[in-house]
Amino acid sequence: MLRKNVRPGLIAIFIAGSTGGLAIGLSAQEQATPYTTVQDIQSGQQLFARHCSICHGVDAAGGDIAPDLTTGEFQHAGTDAGLFNVISDGVPDTPMLGINRGRTDQSVWQLVAYLRSLSGGPRVAVAGDATSGARLYRDRGSCAGCHMIDGEGGRHGPNLSTIGDRRSPDQLLSDLVDPDERVQPHWWTMRVTHRDGTRIDGLRMNEGTYSVRILDGDDNMWSFLKRDLLMSQRIETSSMPAYAGTLNDGELEDLVAYLYGLTREDQGGAR
Amino acid sequence: MKQYALVTLLMFAIPTSAASQRPGEPPAEANSATPSFDPVTQERLLNADAEPENWLMYSGNYFGQRHSRLDQIDKGNVGQLEMQWAFQLRALDRAETTPLVVDGVMYVTEAPSNVIALDARTGSQYWRYNHDLPEDLNFCCGRNNRGVAVLGDRLYMSTLDAHLVSLDAKTGSVLWDVEVADEATGYSMTGAPLLVGDKILTGVAGGEFGIRGFIDAYDVVTGELAWRLYTIPGPDHPDNMTWQGNSWRTGGSPSWMTGSYDAELNLVYWGTGNPGPDWNGDARAGDNLYSDAVLAINPDTGEMVWYFQFTPHDVHDWDSTQIPVLADSEFDGRQRKLMLWPNRNAFFYVLDRVTGEFLLGEPYAKQTWAEGLDEAGRPIRIPGTFPSVEGTTVSPPIGGGTNWWSPSYSPRTDLLYVMAYDGETTYYIRDDEYVAGERFTGGGGSTPLPQDNYVSALRAISPQTGERIWEYPVQPKSTAGVLSTAGDVVFSGTVDGFFFALDAETGEELWHVNVGSRVHAAPMSYMVDGKQYVAIAAGNVLFTFGLRD
Repeated sequence: MLRKNVRPGLIAIFIAGSTGGLAIGLSAQEQATPYTTVQDIQSGQQLFARHCSICHGVDAAGGDIAPDLTTGEFQHAGTDAGLFNVISDGVPDTPMLGINRGRTDQSVWQLVAYLRSLSGGPRVAVAGDATSGARLYRDRGSCAGCHMIDGEGGRHGPNLSTIGDRRSPDQLLSDLVDPDERVQPHWWTMRVTHRDGTRIDGLRMNEGTYSVRILDGDDNMWSFLKRDLLMSQRIETSSMPAYAGTLNDGELEDLVAYLYGLTREDQGGAR
Repeated sequence: MKQYALVTLLMFAIPTSAASQRPGEPPAEANSATPSFDPVTQERLLNADAEPENWLMYSGNYFGQRHSRLDQIDKGNVGQLEMQWAFQLRALDRAETTPLVVDGVMYVTEAPSNVIALDARTGSQYWRYNHDLPEDLNFCCGRNNRGVAVLGDRLYMSTLDAHLVSLDAKTGSVLWDVEVADEATGYSMTGAPLLVGDKILTGVAGGEFGIRGFIDAYDVVTGELAWRLYTIPGPDHPDNMTWQGNSWRTGGSPSWMTGSYDAELNLVYWGTGNPGPDWNGDARAGDNLYSDAVLAINPDTGEMVWYFQFTPHDVHDWDSTQIPVLADSEFDGRQRKLMLWPNRNAFFYVLDRVTGEFLLGEPYAKQTWAEGLDEAGRPIRIPGTFPSVEGTTVSPPIGGGTNWWSPSYSPRTDLLYVMAYDGETTYYIRDDEYVAGERFTGGGGSTPLPQDNYVSALRAISPQTGERIWEYPVQPKSTAGVLSTAGDVVFSGTVDGFFFALDAETGEELWHVNVGSRVHAAPMSYMVDGKQYVAIAAGNVLFTFGLRD
């Protein structure tokens, strides 16, 4: 029944990945895509449109069947080698197929390069001063009130411990200047009034036909049945302030440099 | 000692009434020891409504109504439903199966192309059939299988590698296995076959791979091909002119769901899917017949008697593969043979199923692509709604105002129930080249806002006017089919794992339960030993519910 092509280029990966074809077993792999030019990324985008977009969407932001691939976090892979395996072989017992026929190592690596370009892309040098950025993060920015880094900070915004792996400097700057541009529903807020008169205002953690879960400003977790609510209001903008007015261009660059330096590689070391 | 006790029990359990029980009749006494499963005759299939304890075909009856004539569970007691048993499927895919039940035996399909026979009272297994598949199979949208068909003591299943398999209903042994089409060229099969007379009918999927669609009929005993009706006519037919150049050869128009049947008219009705490439119509100018249409077919000969095309020259992937719902109801002051069709293009159609005449068409979900339908039912397109390089945002989305998940029609309320979705897609066009067995779609789509911005609603629609009688909003959304029952209850589910029951007349919520995973299938109902069950697949588990004994 097996009709797979033999792929000599992958032998090394399979030997090291002792758990077999599953990408999650390959976390020790650090083999990165060797195809990282602009042309490779473009080729990867074309391959994506043909093979992947029907489920993941033309913009890779996910669809009815398949998850968002633009966040830098992947359900079944952590490394480039892991992504390579998932794209090549698919994920067993799920709708995720490998690209199978007509694939070459180069085409798969180009797809990896394209996916990486959606969430950070190749590492680049930044102009700002990260030490100064760390100070701004702590003091004037009050960022830690909502964001957590290495276990310290607030709960009302995304954990930033490895944000530098997932966002490019340009994307980070855009996040700071225009936080409302792309707010994932998980970061929407909600205001409700319970029939006993209790009013709760907070992070809309999840909502369905019958109930809603909220994290209030004091970090209390609430779950309400909708039939018990007199009023509920959903706010789809970001609860984060735009920093364009608060920080000047140089300060924004510094803050970006600090955030961009928060990577998995760096985690556990001195920040 | 134990053996002795068992023998005693068995002796007590032999009922004198068992011998007089006829196929299709419930046992005279609850829990009497009668063998399960009687061969399913053609008569039984034609009169499926007369034995509501069984569910003999994908949609419950030939009219595609997904309406159970059981009424033990009703508006008054549905709130007391309790889980009876659950069966864990091995595949992690979203199960899309509708089980069949034949005299106490349930036949469930599991992704990719497996069948399991269960005791419908307990969920305990009789046998399992696992279909071998090639490793590098290419297909569109999940490793799906939606169900089997039954005749005599034989089951029939369409498989993901485009085979049709006949199994012994008592053991799961393979009786025959025929290749319907070459999977290497992009064909696959996911729908439940339809049994009509001595033929087993099946459609094909592959609209995203440049196939040429068709509907096939095979001899139930030998597996020999009886006829093939191409859903894209060849060059010897004048309708081939609705395809530019050779585009008909790779024009898609698949037939991946199950048809319906009117025995009195001897017509099978079958929906067809999108023309290909999906989002780039530039190289296939014309109406692209018979894509996105319903075909009325003589099941003896495979001859097409009439067709009605819902979306001529589709460039949005709005397959018309929904289950054709047949209803005998009043229209324009007289009783008529109707066909009710909430289409993926967001319009609800009423056709005369004798002639294919268009009677009515109204939007039932959000749509921004047509000003309406003309007198013949042809859409009046709004300019500038085609996919573009920079993206064109249009409602309904690629997934449609509804999709393959079954609607339901209750003859008691004379209402059509459909799970509708008010969404949108930004549609893109790109050049594509046909390579056999590879995707051939010519573009794609993205969702402009987070999914949480759009909602589904279960809507009850009047066949006479197309009016919305009531709706039940679902958040975040639903991709579930609908079952109505003679207890005047409507069942459906949600993507975040709820299964619910509504009042069929008012839409009032009567009951819901968290089944823990996405409901991406349609419910069905059956009865064993005098007890009614409602079954639904959620995630990769089949759940059954019933009232406490």
